[in-house]
Amino acid sequence: MSLADFTSSLDSLLVAAEKSLGLVADEAGLEELRVLYTGAKNGQLKSIQKGMGSLSSDERPAAGKKFNEVRDSVQAAIDNAAARISGGSLVGASPKSSGTKKSVPPIDPTLPGVRPRLGRLHPITQTIEDLKEIMGRLGFSATEGPEIEDTWHNFVALNIPEDHPARDPLDNFYLATAGKNASDPTALDAKLLRSQTSTVQIRAMESQKPPLRIISLGRVYRPDEADATHFPMFHQMEGLWIDTSVSMAQLKSVLRMFATSYLGGDVTIRFRPSFFPFTEPSVEVDYFWNDQWIEFGGAGMVDPNVLKAVGYDPEEMSGFAFGLGVERLCMRRYGITDIRDLFRSDVRFLRQF
Amino acid sequence: MLVSWEWLTQYVDIDLSPDDMANRFALSGLNHESTTKVGPDFVIDLEVTSNRGDCLGHIGVAREASVLLSTPLRIPAPIVSPASVDAAQTSSLIKLSNRFETGCPRYTGKVIRGVKVAPSPAWMQRRLTAIGVKPVNNIVDATNYVMFECGQPLHAFDLSKIRGSEIVVRPAEAKEKFIAIDHRTYELDPSMVVIADAERAIALGGVMGGEDSEVSESTVDLLIEAADFTPLAIRRAARKLRLHSPASYRFERRVNSEGLLWAAERCCQLIVEMAGGKATSGFVDSAPQNKTQMPEVILRKQRIIDVLGIAIPWKRSLDILSALGCVIASKNDEKATVVAPPFRLDLGREVDLIEEIARMNGYEKIPEDAVVPIFVSARRDKDVMLQRVRSVATAAGYDEALTASVVNKQASSLISPWTALPPLMTQVQLLEGATFLRRSIVPSLIQAYQNNQSQQNRDACLFETALVYLPSADSKGLPTQQNTLAWVGTGSSRDSKGMIEEIVRRVAHGQVLTTEEDYADPCVADNTGVRVLCDGRMLAWYGNVSRSVRSTLKLDQDLTFGELNLDLLQEFLLTIPRLKPIVPYPAIQRDLNFILDESVRWGSLSQVVHNSAGELLTDCIYRETYRDAEKDGEGKKRVLLSLILQSPTQTLTGQQADDVVAKVLKATKESFDAAIVA
Repeated sequence: MSLADFTSSLDSLLVAAEKSLGLVADEAGLEELRVLYTGAKNGQLKSIQKGMGSLSSDERPAAGKKFNEVRDSVQAAIDNAAARISGGSLVGASPKSSGTKKSVPPIDPTLPGVRPRLGRLHPITQTIEDLKEIMGRLGFSATEGPEIEDTWHNFVALNIPEDHPARDPLDNFYLATAGKNASDPTALDAKLLRSQTSTVQIRAMESQKPPLRIISLGRVYRPDEADATHFPMFHQMEGLWIDTSVSMAQLKSVLRMFATSYLGGDVTIRFRPSFFPFTEPSVEVDYFWNDQWIEFGGAGMVDPNVLKAVGYDPEEMSGFAFGLGVERLCMRRYGITDIRDLFRSDVRFLRQF
Repeated sequence: MLVSWEWLTQYVDIDLSPDDMANRFALSGLNHESTTKVGPDFVIDLEVTSNRGDCLGHIGVAREASVLLSTPLRIPAPIVSPASVDAAQTSSLIKLSNRFETGCPRYTGKVIRGVKVAPSPAWMQRRLTAIGVKPVNNIVDATNYVMFECGQPLHAFDLSKIRGSEIVVRPAEAKEKFIAIDHRTYELDPSMVVIADAERAIALGGVMGGEDSEVSESTVDLLIEAADFTPLAIRRAARKLRLHSPASYRFERRVNSEGLLWAAERCCQLIVEMAGGKATSGFVDSAPQNKTQMPEVILRKQRIIDVLGIAIPWKRSLDILSALGCVIASKNDEKATVVAPPFRLDLGREVDLIEEIARMNGYEKIPEDAVVPIFVSARRDKDVMLQRVRSVATAAGYDEALTASVVNKQASSLISPWTALPPLMTQVQLLEGATFLRRSIVPSLIQAYQNNQSQQNRDACLFETALVYLPSADSKGLPTQQNTLAWVGTGSSRDSKGMIEEIVRRVAHGQVLTTEEDYADPCVADNTGVRVLCDGRMLAWYGNVSRSVRSTLKLDQDLTFGELNLDLLQEFLLTIPRLKPIVPYPAIQRDLNFILDESVRWGSLSQVVHNSAGELLTDCIYRETYRDAEKDGEGKKRVLLSLILQSPTQTLTGQQADDVVAKVLKATKESFDAAIVA
């Protein structure tokens, strides 16, 4: 076959197709014609296309171009016929124009768009991602650890002695163990849902050598009656920096940079003395924003007993730690007033963020 | 701790307004909760941290003020006037034995004879009322007054009710009954400290006095008790019996054992002034030799700079410690030996002293623009993976939920695809009835769907990433806590499978070899449950909700659900994919419509197609299945698929494609006796 033959067979196909498609009156007839011309297996276009293989390689580009034009024209004729049959061409429909010009209804640009249905990330997740991102820029890498912990990581290594109220069985989610005196919180192998993410810091210090700059994030658990401001499960972010010489001035500076970045404006930080078993000195941290002091969280210099517990020499190494509740930041940021809403999974809530 | 301004200023001159002083307290360790005006007085509510039992009395708070303001502290001298001293020795009137030193390290007492019980004077009633303590009579009020003055709880017994003139400190007997001042009967246990006379318990040590030994209108002779009870014993007793009192609160935070005699003497001084009578000489004391051993602490000047990041003048540092009651045993320009007072048991180490210096010097002097060296942080694989997983789930229209990790029995028993072992349980419930650590997240999400349904929120599609807790057969070590993705939504199980496929593709950027097997569970509809395995481990499971669960839970439509083991998936994470070159030659598509036995699964069909087609086959796409028993006979189905054929080096000819199709047809004929629809 020559290029001329190829072209002329396409031309005659187009003439025949436009003619018959201009006359066809019902859907069955249209379908028959569609299969005849464009059927994927034995359609006429397909047969002609097969002939392309016998053309020489310099003829093929031209042949391909011609083929595509004819195929598009046939398809357009089919579309027009379909529109005509289904009564779609209401505007300017006339036998004369139907073969060459498609009629379209006017567009109403004020109709709503067809929106993809995308899911949303939970506001807590979005807050945590923000925190991770900001802390990452300050050199803190995210770490995680198990939620079911042993008493060593949750208490002992954190300088919380056996008789400390924080270890009370009623103030923690100890796991029930078969056989043994289940409520004995002093048992060395007692396990519990962690009450703070500081456990992760212990694990990090146990397995890594300083310097260390990490944040630990995740769920923590404390028995609390659920109300608008309390929930027995919540999220914490804790930061830890251990190096040969870390000072409280650096703690204050890191927290100021963090708050400034999170809030997007210049922020002042205030320390108030406090008490935590795992830090000494310990402080409550406030930041000044919108003309008021707002509680940020707790912080302090890592207690020498904690450093010793993980095998660091407190004379050689020092560091600071801080912790904050993610829910409180998240609720303040989005104007959420009831913490329980975060855990109700109501899509009218979830789809707002 | 409620502090009366009038009372406080008995001990220290304060040249500030109550509000300004409260602010100073807040910034130096006593957090200010509120200030209330009570008559002419102001009452300041200060939060005292658990290490600062010394500030649970007005004198302790006054000491803080005196250090902050550099003004002197005036502590009253507890001296019973000579005219009111009874020549009789206390020990001649009452016998004391301590059989429970671990619960009560020291017990002291003093007797007053000949008092007249009456209302206490106006000044004392006013101060007690201001801080919310109801005046009772001059005896009880004096014990309360001294407790709120110095932090040491005291108790007054009617001496005539103490049988056998004997006090015995002992552990309670198991199930011992005790009637307290509140006229209620309590059942005790041997961890609790009982104060008994020769016959029966007359007080629950450190927690509450007994009904029939309390001071009444007719009381004439008194025994004043000042004791040191162990914090743990008191806390457990108070908690168990729900008997929390200002006294138990103070014992839980440790009292100053060396201050017992001061408190008892002070109490006697006030009683004889207000109620007359004479106080006996000396004390009964279970441990007169007891001395709190405070350690000698070396404080280094340089260490203060290292910890705080600023230098504080050495003299000022030591002055602060002295003002707080510490003894500077020796010092030079670089270091000092410091001994803290016995009421500051929290000051046993150098860093404890540094905290005192820092807070009294003022934390506002610590700068917030210190140099912070640059440090490199890295994103974890887990975060990279999670971000991709979440982006697929949200793009698929699923909203992210967060649900409680501990669930009730019904939710726990609904389905457990990851383990056959019973769930771990907590001793205390998280929410109503929730003591089961979940082995699957799906029940929580089904419940969330239900909640949405009841709120008329149609078609909720929810996902969550969280841990599931898988018990191990032996209890050594921690249980497996598997990072898991779960979803529940509308649609079919093929939607679930598609999500798994897309997630695996996005995370691993290539083939993860998986096999599927049927998963039957009462929660999963027949013929929809599938486990996806990878190296013999379950990567994921999915299915549709079974009819029975749907009707039990009154779900308004079919739901599909599943879970994916993210820890396992993370092993296949490819953080950075490599480009595969785009082939410049066109692909040819050939559609094949097979007639097959119903039993032939797509997996094996596509396997045979792949194996037989050769390297020109770049994809074998499933299109659809339909059944036409009339044309093809019972037990047959038609499967339409598309072969995508392409060569990386040339444009394929029709003949080449035909050859591939022929090979595929031959192989499928041999393997499945597959026919092709003409």
